[in-house]
Amino acid sequence: MIDFEYVRATDLASAVRAGAAASTRFVAGGTNLIDLMKLDVERPSHVVDINDLARRDPSLAAITELPGGGLRVGGLARMRDVAWDARVRERYPVVSQSLLLAASGQLRNMATIGGNVLQRTRCPYFRDTAMPCNKREPGSGCSAIHGINRTEAILGTSEQCIATYPGDLAVALVALGATVHVHSPSGQERTLPFASLHVAPGTHPDRETTLRPGELITAIDLPALSAARRSLYLKVRDRASYAFALASAAVAVEMDGRTIRNARVGLGGVATKPWRSQEAERLLAGKPATEATFHAAADAALAAARPHRDNAFKVTLAKRTLVRALTEVTA
Amino acid sequence: MHRLSDFRGSPVVLAFHGAQWDPARAEHIETYNRLIASLGGVAGTRLLQIGGTGPWRDLSFTDASLSLPVLAADLAIAERYGVGNDPAVFVIDSTGVVRWSQVGPISLANPTDVARAISVVAAPFVDARDEVEAPNEEPSTGWTRRDFVATALAAAFALALRPVEAHAERAAALAPPTHTARLVTLMVNGRELSLSLEPRVTLLDALREYAGLTGSKKGCDHGQCGSCTVHIDGRRELSCLTFAVMQEGRRITTIEGLATGDQLHPMQQAFITNDGFQCGYCTSGQVMSAVAVLDEPWGPTDDDVREAMSGNICRCGAYPGIVAAVQEVRRAQATNGGGNRQ
Repeated sequence: MIDFEYVRATDLASAVRAGAAASTRFVAGGTNLIDLMKLDVERPSHVVDINDLARRDPSLAAITELPGGGLRVGGLARMRDVAWDARVRERYPVVSQSLLLAASGQLRNMATIGGNVLQRTRCPYFRDTAMPCNKREPGSGCSAIHGINRTEAILGTSEQCIATYPGDLAVALVALGATVHVHSPSGQERTLPFASLHVAPGTHPDRETTLRPGELITAIDLPALSAARRSLYLKVRDRASYAFALASAAVAVEMDGRTIRNARVGLGGVATKPWRSQEAERLLAGKPATEATFHAAADAALAAARPHRDNAFKVTLAKRTLVRALTEVTA
Repeated sequence: MHRLSDFRGSPVVLAFHGAQWDPARAEHIETYNRLIASLGGVAGTRLLQIGGTGPWRDLSFTDASLSLPVLAADLAIAERYGVGNDPAVFVIDSTGVVRWSQVGPISLANPTDVARAISVVAAPFVDARDEVEAPNEEPSTGWTRRDFVATALAAAFALALRPVEAHAERAAALAPPTHTARLVTLMVNGRELSLSLEPRVTLLDALREYAGLTGSKKGCDHGQCGSCTVHIDGRRELSCLTFAVMQEGRRITTIEGLATGDQLHPMQQAFITNDGFQCGYCTSGQVMSAVAVLDEPWGPTDDDVREAMSGNICRCGAYPGIVAAVQEVRRAQATNGGGNRQ
């Protein structure tokens, strides 16, 4: 790991000012950044520690009620605290489950919500500095497209990059339509829909979010959404625990008897960014909760899939994952 | 005022320190006394005083007492031993041979660790009475008790020489400007450790390589195996995926801090009773994780334990024993209604 200058920020204004400098990274939990720094994939010259911001302003790590029934989750709240929060578990089971099915107990104690959603979209070649990677070194080429690509994405890919967005929480948040609060170096606060936070690789796979230099996620709002109470996260992995998703589904439904009034659908493990399928949602709305309905929705969700040599199985797996998630959530 | 040659025939400790350092600080005397106590009064040595001014001190030892004469401020001695601005400690045995030295900050954690470390490297020492009975015999075949005590005390002295937090600014001012190392104060197992660390040093490396606490293991070094698990403010975290400098002001517990004296933590005992390990490499991480798991809101089933412990990999496959150990402690806690931590 290259050496760097360490700065411990004590207030938000100085944190974002320091964070706006070139080659600077924020660190909170550190679980993704430090891993990548050890590999020389991330090589910041300055690292700004934002953990103390929550000492000055505890709301940055808190979970608070919003008028109208939503919840505000501080950007510095730890995955563990959000996962086990009674309000989150009752009103947003899909959020709690996505967190508890992610990472390990130790990592959930460390990683923050802001850092979790901003973890790097990555693949084995991104982590291997001996191999070309357009995300790590723009223009160097993609090793995965014609390489070993079993775990790569099938949705939202480009000719430059097929790396999978690995997170789970973000899949739940994009399905629910969460809102992101961002503090900018200019001192201004801005909000953006969660769906606008991440971008597909396109021709710039090195750019993964719409955040500008120095911008910091201060909170994420979970909306008041009646479907959210009837929601779940289903994750399929190579092993039973502590692994990335091969396919996952975040689903939330509002039912009227056996009819689906409306539904939210997110897919993980298969896309280059947290993936919401409004095609599937449209096919579920107003339909009876039957296997035929679920299959139609799953077919629609994966209609645009573009598998590569080793990951065609993900098309079938993702469909079955979604069908099972919808079956369970409407049961 | 004495000269170094005055002490030939007795072990001598030379301690060099920066101009800002006050050798008369009371906490140093406390450090020596704790060390002497931990040695069990091997030589009946007792610390009398530390005093005086000047850039360096020597300590000389007798069997019955310890006196601290002030040497003439002879910079030639510092030159002869190659000492610059860094603090340094040299132990010179009864025959004038340098037996132990430490230049720059050292990281041995406390007098007990110091004594233990030195007893490992020291040859069996010669009983001081033998010297009395055979005064002409060359004592270089082994260490005398006095040499041993002198060396142990010197190591403690080197410990005391490390700049404390109040001196951090001065220490930083002395450091070359291109160097990012800074004084990092960590609270580990209830003790304060001041270590000079670059920011890129992980907590795991700080514990193992700088503080001598090798109980926390480096398995994958990427947060995938759990063998580096420690408690930070009571929660299990991965010491390989956090920088030590980030942990100032937080309470760190390692496997070394789990037992109470010789009494094992119930989880340590349960791992032994239930055969929760084979090679033992992952065990300290498993135990630290298991202790913390019982403070997390998991359910009571074996499957809950497996899920909660999935961040700790065991290459030997001792999982059935690990699950049994965790469940045994859980049941005992439920019966006793007692807390997890001692």
